Amino acid sequence: MRKPLHPLTLWIASILLAIGVVALDSAFIALAIVGAVALFVFVRRDGSPWNMSFALSLRIGATILAIRTVVGVLIGVPIPGRALFTIPILHLPSWMPGIRIGGAVTIERLSSSLHEGVMIAALIALFGAATSLTSPHRLLRVTPSFIYEIGITLVIATSLFPQMATSIRRIRAAQKLRGMEKVKLGAIALPLLEESLARSLQLAASMDARGYGISRKRSRYRPQQWLFRDSALIAGATAICLAMVVQ
Amino acid sequence: MIRFSNVSLVYPHSTKTILEDLSFEIEEGEMVLVMGETGSGKSSLLKLINGLVPHHTGGILAGDISVDGISTRTVKPGALAHLVGIVGQNPLNGFVTDIVEEELAFSMEALNVAPDVMRKRVEEVLDILGLTAIRNRSIATLSGGEQQRVAIGTALVMHPKVLVLDEPTSALDPIAAEEVLSVLHRLVHDLSVTVIIAEHRLERVIQFVDRIIYIEGNGETSIGPAEEILQRAELVPPIIRLARALHLNEFKTSVRDVRRQTEEFRLRDYPVSPARSRSSIPAIVVSEISHSYGRKSALRKASTTIGHGEIVAIMGRNGAGKSTLLHSIVGLHAPDSGSITVNGGDPLTLKGGDRRRAIGYVPQEPSDLLFAQSVGDECAQADGDNQLNPGSTWALLNSLVPHISLHTHPNDLSEGQRLALVLSIVLAANPEVLVLDEPTRGLDYRAKNLFTLALKEYATQSNRPVLLATHDVELVAELADRVLFLAEGEIVADGPTLDVLLSSPAFAPQVAKIMSPKPWLTVSDVVTAIGAAE
Repeated sequence: MRKPLHPLTLWIASILLAIGVVALDSAFIALAIVGAVALFVFVRRDGSPWNMSFALSLRIGATILAIRTVVGVLIGVPIPGRALFTIPILHLPSWMPGIRIGGAVTIERLSSSLHEGVMIAALIALFGAATSLTSPHRLLRVTPSFIYEIGITLVIATSLFPQMATSIRRIRAAQKLRGMEKVKLGAIALPLLEESLARSLQLAASMDARGYGISRKRSRYRPQQWLFRDSALIAGATAICLAMVVQ
Repeated sequence: MIRFSNVSLVYPHSTKTILEDLSFEIEEGEMVLVMGETGSGKSSLLKLINGLVPHHTGGILAGDISVDGISTRTVKPGALAHLVGIVGQNPLNGFVTDIVEEELAFSMEALNVAPDVMRKRVEEVLDILGLTAIRNRSIATLSGGEQQRVAIGTALVMHPKVLVLDEPTSALDPIAAEEVLSVLHRLVHDLSVTVIIAEHRLERVIQFVDRIIYIEGNGETSIGPAEEILQRAELVPPIIRLARALHLNEFKTSVRDVRRQTEEFRLRDYPVSPARSRSSIPAIVVSEISHSYGRKSALRKASTTIGHGEIVAIMGRNGAGKSTLLHSIVGLHAPDSGSITVNGGDPLTLKGGDRRRAIGYVPQEPSDLLFAQSVGDECAQADGDNQLNPGSTWALLNSLVPHISLHTHPNDLSEGQRLALVLSIVLAANPEVLVLDEPTRGLDYRAKNLFTLALKEYATQSNRPVLLATHDVELVAELADRVLFLAEGEIVADGPTLDVLLSSPAFAPQVAKIMSPKPWLTVSDVVTAIGAAE
């Protein structure tokens, strides 16, 4: 078994990269970084259930990109430039001044919408990568116990995400066998919600019953070691971040 | 050790009193069983002991509970962690870390126990529970029995005086259940740990317990020695039903004692009842299918034929390939090699309404199929799907379990009622074949009885096959005509229930253990045989 990184390493690196991406504000660099991160995730994945959250975050990012682009093209302030095509303008009542639906779609308008979409999607993908490579359980073990409530919420939220993906697959399979061919959101959401809630409550109860958060100090059975690799990775991420902020 | 004085409990947003004016005391080193129907408040009673109820769930608690002199009212559940160890119904949902050793150390870390003490205690618990070989394994890869032992270990490292377990064997095969229970038995006798356990499958635990807390349907609660409570209880294991049927003057809970009492019945000779003939027309034909998940092979060249009107049980240890075989038969995934036909058709190609009519499938979590806001909506949906007269599914449900309100939300049903609802939805399509995966988890004896009758009626009336995977030996004895026994993905035994169950002591039902070598599996077998002889 490959020795895992310190659970905080990837989160810190993700945050640093995110800062850099926002500061530089370049869609191409953002895409390049997401690509590099994707490669990293692919190499480091170990078959644990949360590995899937990266793919899921990419999908969410793509959805947001699509919505942002469509909305940006349809609604908004006209940006002058070379017109690509024109959509008929929808006439709005007089009490809605300043908003225009439709009109000429310029290259500038399209590219600015795309740009914003890519930036949002890239940020989501960066955090998806950190989640997918860090075991939520190991993450909890390094959180200091004085942030008890936050710690518990964190563990529940992060362990819920990957478990949900497994549950969705199971529920879909069962429903397909009932002859329900079409995916209905409500039909999956209800059993899923019920199960996730029950699960989170059980985990929280178990942590409560086992004395989590009772003592202000906690001892370490096997400390999470911060190794040279962790420092190296953070140093690399910091360098990239600085380069992007300063340039 | 534990003292309940005049305890009553009401949950928020509910008018129903869960427990009323309950008083009892449990001594050190006692093993106490909590029994009652599903939804009678067993789990609540267990959680009261370490204060999870009401500290974690909310609710109004009257009266007082003290554990080793500490009132649960005044402290948080975590402050009792060194005193009370609690193991939930589904241990996997309570694990906080990934590795066995780290999981064992978790509560000691939280309570700031010194590292050298921790090391010592972890080693100790690994030894007691026989977990040394898997100490570095990831918890998710363990078998059900191993996970359950790890869960008990996480409680034991704190050296608790009280151990509370909620249905610790419900997900386990008979052999793994035996392992867990013998560990508990040893803890009680060697270390004088007080153990409180809730369980539906009484036949598994009854021989180990000293006293029983019996929560009746009407909210009344009684506590007393096992024999005394079982004498008048309604939900009793086969061993007590046998004693009642044979009019024995004393009720014993161990197989050995009842064997001694019933010696005279085994000495006589009985006419051999003719073996039931097997149906010759095959409905499901499985030929040489193999399936693997990644590198792990789950099924190896399994072949069998299931005839019309047959009820076939698939048994085997956790992870033997039972679910994989069922999933292949219902067409959830294509086998790597081999072929399956259900009434001549390929289950993989079925869609929509055709699928509903060809194969009825009840999944391991019945609630996966439920999504409407009320029982009535759920039934109406099934009527619409299958072009039935409105009310047909509802009538079917009523014949299985009467007295369910149409407006109840599916989540508020008890386990037994929910299974009945799912079963009636599946049966509404009038499927040619019925397949069930672990249907009786969490069902009490009464719900199980109703369920058994419903399946038998389906199989005999319309002469259709029923296939179910289960760990429940007593259910198989009552219900199945034939048993397929799987081990490591291979079918190692395939024959009439009587032959398969009698050939392995671990999988023998209680009555068979008592009456061996007579070929009887259930109380009614015994009664019929004795009746025929007289």
